[in-house]
Formats: sequence, C-alpha cells, structure tokens
Amino acid sequence: MNPETERTWIINGEKMSVTFPPGRRLLDVLREDLKLTGTKEGCGEGECGACTVIVDGELIVSCLLAAGQVPDGAEIMTVEGLEKTEGGRLLQASYVEKGAAQCGFCIPGMIMSSYHLLSRGEPLSQPIIREAHAGNICRCTGYEKIMEAVSAAAEHWPKSEAKS
Amino acid sequence: MQTKEITFKHVGQGIPRRDGDEKVRGLARYVDDLNIPDCWYGVAVRSPVAHGRLKTLRYDPAFDFDQVCVVTPEDIPGKNIVDMMGQDMPFLAHDLIRYRGEPLALVAAPTRQLAEQAAAHIQPDIDPLEPLYTLEEVIALHKTDRSKLDELSAQTIIKGSVDEGLAAADKVIEGEYWAGHQEQLYIEPQGMVAIPEKDGGVFLQGSLQCPYYIAPELIVTLGLPLEKIRVKQAAVGGAFGGKEEFPTLVAGYCALLAMKSGKPVKMVYDRCQDIRYSTKRHPAWMKYRVGLKNDGTITAIHVDFVLDGGAYTTLSPVVLYRGILHTTLGYNCEHVFVDGRVYRTHTFPDGAFRGFGAPQAIWGLESHMQECADALGMDAEVFRLKNYLRAGDKTGTGQVISAEMDPPAVMLETLKRSDFVNRRTLNTYGVPRDGKFFGVGVAFFGHGSGFTGDGEMRLQSKAALDLDWLPNGKPGVNIRISSTEMGQGTLTIMPQIAADGLKIPMACVDCPLPDTKYVPDSGPTVASRTAMVVGSTVYGAAEKMKALLEQYASDAFFGGHPCHLEDGVLTCSAVSQSQTFEDVARRLLEEKGMQRVVHQFKLPDTVVWDQKTFKGDSYPSYSWSANIVEVEIDALTLEIKLKKATSVWDIGRLMNPVLAKGQIEGGLTQALGYALMEKMGIRDGLFDADRMQTYVVPTSLDTPEFDIHFMEYPYPHAAPGAKGVGEIPMDGLAPAIANAIKAATGIRMNRIPITPESLWEAMPSTRKEIAS
Repeated sequence: MNPETERTWIINGEKMSVTFPPGRRLLDVLREDLKLTGTKEGCGEGECGACTVIVDGELIVSCLLAAGQVPDGAEIMTVEGLEKTEGGRLLQASYVEKGAAQCGFCIPGMIMSSYHLLSRGEPLSQPIIREAHAGNICRCTGYEKIMEAVSAAAEHWPKSEAKS
Repeated sequence: MQTKEITFKHVGQGIPRRDGDEKVRGLARYVDDLNIPDCWYGVAVRSPVAHGRLKTLRYDPAFDFDQVCVVTPEDIPGKNIVDMMGQDMPFLAHDLIRYRGEPLALVAAPTRQLAEQAAAHIQPDIDPLEPLYTLEEVIALHKTDRSKLDELSAQTIIKGSVDEGLAAADKVIEGEYWAGHQEQLYIEPQGMVAIPEKDGGVFLQGSLQCPYYIAPELIVTLGLPLEKIRVKQAAVGGAFGGKEEFPTLVAGYCALLAMKSGKPVKMVYDRCQDIRYSTKRHPAWMKYRVGLKNDGTITAIHVDFVLDGGAYTTLSPVVLYRGILHTTLGYNCEHVFVDGRVYRTHTFPDGAFRGFGAPQAIWGLESHMQECADALGMDAEVFRLKNYLRAGDKTGTGQVISAEMDPPAVMLETLKRSDFVNRRTLNTYGVPRDGKFFGVGVAFFGHGSGFTGDGEMRLQSKAALDLDWLPNGKPGVNIRISSTEMGQGTLTIMPQIAADGLKIPMACVDCPLPDTKYVPDSGPTVASRTAMVVGSTVYGAAEKMKALLEQYASDAFFGGHPCHLEDGVLTCSAVSQSQTFEDVARRLLEEKGMQRVVHQFKLPDTVVWDQKTFKGDSYPSYSWSANIVEVEIDALTLEIKLKKATSVWDIGRLMNPVLAKGQIEGGLTQALGYALMEKMGIRDGLFDADRMQTYVVPTSLDTPEFDIHFMEYPYPHAAPGAKGVGEIPMDGLAPAIANAIKAATGIRMNRIPITPESLWEAMPSTRKEIAS
C-alpha cells in the first residue's frame, strides 16, 4: 500500500486535517472525506466548472487537482464558505433575487467564479463578467440571469473584500 | 367562469424561487450528496458489440466473485423486460444484442473500484451481426428498399386530398432537411440509489422527472406490487427530458442489485458513461413538397417525416406523434398528408428531450416555408401572414383554432420589436461587407400544450392538498403532486397557485419534493403540462380546501352561519366576526387531524380525439411564438455568431415572469447549441462526442442579445390559465438561424448543426473565392 498523504488546510476559515491516498482528487477529498458535498462533479475533466473552488486566491477546478498538490496551510474556499463573507452573502442573495439558479447544479462552481471576479476589485464590464464565467457551463439559464446577478452584486460589493 | 376574469394575487408575480437559497448555499441534496450508510456501488457489464447474439458470459476464475453481487437475467424476480412501449427491451440482454453498451449483467460491490474490477472479469462471447448505425443509411434504404428496415412505429395525418392540392398548384417546392442527435447534457449526470426495505420492497431515490413512470414500470421486472416500490425525487440537477423515461433503467439496475445483495446500491454515471449510455434527441429527416399558388396561397403540404429510434421502441411512437403534428402546425392548408415513421438502428434508444419531436419538425417546416416564400419572391412575413392559422381555421387534424387564440399576434409584435423590415436591408446575400456576412431570419411556430391527443384524458391527473403541520411548526397546506422540480420552478409556482386558490398567504403553503408514499399520480413532469394541467388541478384542489375550511369555521366558530376566506382571514358577515386561517386550521388539526382534499384534471367535454385516424383536437391548447434573429458570419473563418434574438411568446397566463423568462433564455440557448454547435456522430457504434471536451454547448460567451416579450392569451378552460413554456423555446431558433444564414450567404443549409465546416462545404467555389 502507498503511504497516506496528510494535510492540514484552512477550509472556509476552519482548520481541518485530512489523510488520503496519493493521487486522490481534491474534489473527492472535499466531497467524500470532508463531507463538503456542496461542490459538484459534472464532467471530471475540468470542462463544466461545477467543482470550482478557490485555493489560496486562485480559482481552480477541483476535479483536475490532486489533493496532495495543495500544500499544508493552504486556504480553501468552497461554496459552503461563501456565507461567512459579506460579499458571498450579497452574491447569494443576488443570485436568488435575479433567478440565476434553476436546477442549481452548476451554481456551487459558478458562484465561486463570481466571487473570485468581484473580490479582485477590478473595473468590470459585461465582456469581462462573461469571460470570467466562460469556464462554468450552465445548461438551464442561458446565463442572462447569472450575468444580471453578478452585475447587481458588483454595484454593492463591500470595499473590505476588494483586494488586488 | 372564464379564467381571464379571475384576478390573482400571487400568480403572475416574479416571486424568487423557493429552492434558490439552498441551491446558492450548496445545501441542496442531489442523489450523490445523500449520506447512505453501508451503500454499495453498482455497475453494468456492457456489450462490446452493437448487434449480435450472446452465447455465454465467462467468469474469470482468477477473480473472487464472492466479495461482490452479480445479477444476471436468471436473478430477475419478474419478467426480463422494460415495461415501456413495445415491450421489446430486456433489462439485461440474454440473446439478441441491439446496441453497443447494452447491459448483460450487473455487479455491485462495497466500492466503485471493486465493482468495476469485477465487471471487467466477466467477458461475453458474442456472435456479431451486421449493424445499422446512422439515419443516413436508414434514409438510403427508406428511399430504395424499406423491407430491409425494422419499423418501430408509423402514423399518418390525412386532410383533404394532397394530390388534388398539388395538382391545383402553380408551383411545387421540394426540400429535404436533416437534424442530428442532441444530448440533454444536464450538468448532474444520471444517478439513483435503491434501498431494500424490511417488507421486501424497495425504496428508490434519485435524479428523475417522473416518479410514477418508474414505480409502475418496475412492477413487471421486480415482481413487486406497486405499494412496495417507493420512489422519491432527490434534487435534480437538470433533466430536459433526459430524466423522463431513462431513469427507469438505472432504477431497475439498482433495485435488482439491492434486492439480491440486501444492501443499498447506488449508481451515478460519470459523464462519459452518461453520454454513451443514455437517451438523445431523435435524429430526423424530412422531405417537404408544398404546392403554392403564385399569390402565395398554400394548396398542399406533403411531408415525409422519419426518425431514427435507436435500438428499442421506448417512447418513440409518442415522439413521432408530436413530431408529425408539428410538421404543418401554424399554416392554413386544405390538403395535408404527413407520413411519419420511426426505424430501428443499433444505437442507444433515442428518447425524450425538450420539445419531443417538435423541434425536428419545426426545423423542417420553418426552413421550408422560407424556401417557399423565396421561390415566390415574397417577403418572409408577407408569405407567413397570408397563410397563418387564425381563429376559426382548422389544423391538419381538423382542430379548430379557438377564439381565445390569435397566432399571428406574436409574429406582428416580433416584427415590430426586431425592426425586421429595416434590418433586412442589411442582408448581404453572399457578398460580404467589411469582412462579414450579415442576415436576418424569422421563424413562426406553435407548440401543443400537454399530452398529445387523448393523453390528458387517459392520465386522469390528480393533485392532493393536505392541511397539516408544516416543518415550521405552524398549520398550513402541503401540496402533494408527483410533478418534479428540475430547475423550471414547480416548487415555486405551485404554492403561488395554491395560495391564490385558497386565498391564504404563500407562507402557509409548502410543496415538498414528490415521494410516491405521499403523493397521488399527477402524471409525468413532461410535455409543457405542469403549469397548465397540474397547476389547474392544484387550483381546483385549493378551491375544495377553501370550501372545507369555510364549512368547518362556519360550524366551529360562527354558529353555522356561512363565512368567507379572503387574504388569510375567515369572515362571517352574519355575526360580524372573523378568525385567521391559522387559528381555524390549528383547531381543525387538533380536533380532526390531517385533512386531505383531492382534485382530478378534466378536459372540456367538447374535446374530441380519434387516435386511429389522427383526427380531432390533437392538443388541449397551443403556445405560440415568433423568433427573429440577426446572424453575423466571418467571411474568412465562417464562424457563425448569433448576435441578436428577438422573440415574443404567448404561453397563456404567466405564472411567474422571472421563472418564465429563465425558461425562455435557457431554452433558446439549448436551441442555439442545436442549431450551431452540438454535433454528435457515431463511431464503432458509440456516440463520438462522449465528453464535455468534445460535445460543445454554449457558454456565457456564445449567447446573443436576447429581447424577450410575452403576450398573454390565457387557456380558458382551466384556471389559472397557463399554456406551457417548457418546450417551446427549443422549437424555432434553428430554422430562424438557418433562414438568417441564407439571407447572409445565399445558401440554404438543410442540416443541423450548421458549422463553419459544413457552411464551407456548401459554398459554391465562387463564394469560397470571395470568402477567402
């Protein structure tokens, strides 16, 4: 048997330790080992974006990242962590109000792309917002209401969460 | 009372979806998120050949099969058939194999890895037979030697004498149109879990559209009575028809494994398995022959309509019916002949997908109507407006367009909003301007609401309302229907409707996900029928519950004097007293316990349908739309960009404008994929685009500017008066785009998807020179 890998990460602001076999995907560690089932698997090859999470400020698809590549002490944010931030709560409310979620399966990844975009605090335009979500496939909405939700949230984005 | 005279408080409001909060927080539980202790994992042993005879299954003696559970046909307690139309599909192939990947045996093990290992150690011996894979091969035989084809279903529509109509024509315009497979590509793959129950029954939870398809269909296979097959919907991550009939298969696999192993068994397909081994939209070929007078009158419409059904019958006959009924829909013509057929091929059985035959038919119809207009030198809108069905006219089956409908209204409004007549002056007709081709195209179409023909009469859909304690501890009303939430908004519009029928606040109404243990059969969640049919059934039940509450309050609080429930308050004018709904409901619950009322859907007695002759009222009502699109094509790369889509929709009364618009935007985006992007071929019997990397669907960078507008002509016979929105956005965009491409390039593309490569191939050499 291969030796287990051990990691301690800050997930959604909480310190968590986990052991897993080498090669195990971050997605499986999150969903199966840590029971953070909010993050979804839609394709397993980085195309649909349903498994998108933020690792140390980087937007990544967790189905393509071996968990062992995430170093000790890394900060991981999943959809479950959004509501711990003011911007996250704002985005969630905006998604609901605008009708941006339909079946909801792409949303845990989609909304992480929204959060990552808005928290960068850069000037926004419709093409920039569209480009920032081009890695998240939604089959229900036609993206219109998602774009509306992100634009609406951007208008009220808390300054404290805008960092470069 | 006519539905248009009723006023509504909640219906018509853009109330945010009720399941929105749990979905944006990652809390919604889809089947793979359920925590089921000691759950085993199921896989199928699949045939490596598409057509052949199974001789035997060889078990590798080196593998320890004691650690797993294997199900073969001998283990099936009931009959080894899938109880769908035709009854020609076995659960596990035991003799004749009809598609590559057909299950031969099932394996469950404590882990997915072990189950897959075990399956790999079961090898079939098969005598291969010659396969028939594609619609192109089918049509070649359809034109030359039909005896070599296996016909799964056939149906004609006959009105007048098409020969007479063609003879009276000044011109006869012919055209052939092709449409390929389309994958639903819901983002959540197929998944199900079966849990064996102590009483010998089985409890199924999963990603599904129709609980009352699965339960009764499995009776035959599992040898269990209906009450021992319980089906509950988990949150569904998109369906679009792909979770209509197909989940019966996964449910059956899981149930068979669970019943033999005694363990809960789960199957969740990965994306590749899902695309390879689940249903697609039927590929279609149509040949139109339309007789025309020089003044634009249509004298005859003759249509050959052929679907590739895949390996087994499943729902193909009904897809064919909806398909042929839409091949002429919207146009007034005395002489119609439609010859519809479904042939068997050796690919995965084709099945339900949003539109259910209508998108294929309207792709052909609206492409060809443009060809007719062009052949006469008439403007697109002038030709269409001349021939549209209007109130009092009859469809191909003789159904009279009722006075409550005005099909041309949506067309007139779309023309206005899109500025079509001015915009088309920019059409490039094959000569690029500033490196681009530009064209504007139009499509007009209708979509039948609810089940085809007498389907809604046979279904006898029921809805129940339970006055009960809600999860918040307060008295309220639970809506008990088998209609599922798959993103379209059932869980939100049904409480809107029930609250309006009961005259109580929406907060007092809950709509739990369906579970056959608690809900009556409201029919399947398909055919744009949920808002119209089930919505009106819920409304009827709400009126009954209101009467029950008023009667009880009258007796218990007002000394037998009648009272009236309005805005959540029961008021008795005779004694000048009032009680809140909550207080009355509380006392009633404490005194008598849960109260249930049931209502059944009924069509007006005037509806007549003859399934044998295909004459009469083919649908309870119709939604109508027109799409006008602007397309830009790069003259160098031939990249086709849909720039703008203007559309107007009559879907009856709007239940919730935000949700309805979401349906339109999403449906148009799927239709955009169907028209321009989603290409699926067959390679060695398997779908060749079997991953998201190769099956390309629209992203946020591909969608056009949408201008969406509603015109409400409520369904008059069942309050609140919806007519259905789920499918119609899928119907008309492809022909509108093809018509715009013709206006841009001068080329009629008759096969979707239309890609830069196919456009290049269709270009005459002179145009290729201009383009390059």
